[in-house]
Amino acid sequence: MLILTRRAEEKIKIGDNIVVNVFEIDGNVVKIGIDAPKDIPIYRMEVLEQIENKNIEAASKTPEDVADVAQLFNKKFSRGQEN
Amino acid sequence: MNTLKIDTRKFGPIEIDETKILSMPDGLPGFSGYHKFILLEDPNSKPFCWFQSVEDPSLSLVVMSPFIFKPDYEIDVTPQDIRKSWKAQKEEDLTVYVVINITEEKKITANLIGPIIINTKTSEAVQLVISDSEYSHQHNVLEGV
Repeated sequence: MLILTRRAEEKIKIGDNIVVNVFEIDGNVVKIGIDAPKDIPIYRMEVLEQIENKNIEAASKTPEDVADVAQLFNKKFSRGQEN
Repeated sequence: MNTLKIDTRKFGPIEIDETKILSMPDGLPGFSGYHKFILLEDPNSKPFCWFQSVEDPSLSLVVMSPFIFKPDYEIDVTPQDIRKSWKAQKEEDLTVYVVINITEEKKITANLIGPIIINTKTSEAVQLVISDSEYSHQHNVLEGV
């Protein structure tokens, strides 16, 4: 991993069209601006990891698990619900 | 109708309508390398559905329309923000599913920050990663019912 030291308002250029701008540093909080083409996805890592983990968890369920809770679900939602 | 036989670990071999296959150009977070999925309905567990990989029999996730249990669910996206090539699409062409989990205590949770958006016109799907929202990745589905 490349580790660079930057001060507030200094930038980093990655490749031809990505610029990372260190806007503001306040204690242990850093505000970062990222200029990148729209088709490059940029995620907060922990949010992406939550989604990955939930996907992995959901893939471990069996049809029996689901049929089981579907009954419960449909009972609770039967009021005013056609299906 | 062109049918295709695929193997699924949860439902055994099944025949699917080839035109119903959804391509996921960006893949599915947590399962890189898979790009073809199909939405399966199991009559025993409606309205829960399965987002089944066409390429890997053992890969299928529980999903559901969020509007059934959360009619006011809102995500602020326009089709072209999801994929450039969706520019000409209308919002009506998109359907939304969320990934469902079931805890050991049989609590049903929905991941409202990772909705799967299906473009019915192009047969493509994208799972969004929503950072700035009030929604939870483990929203209690039966909350307030």
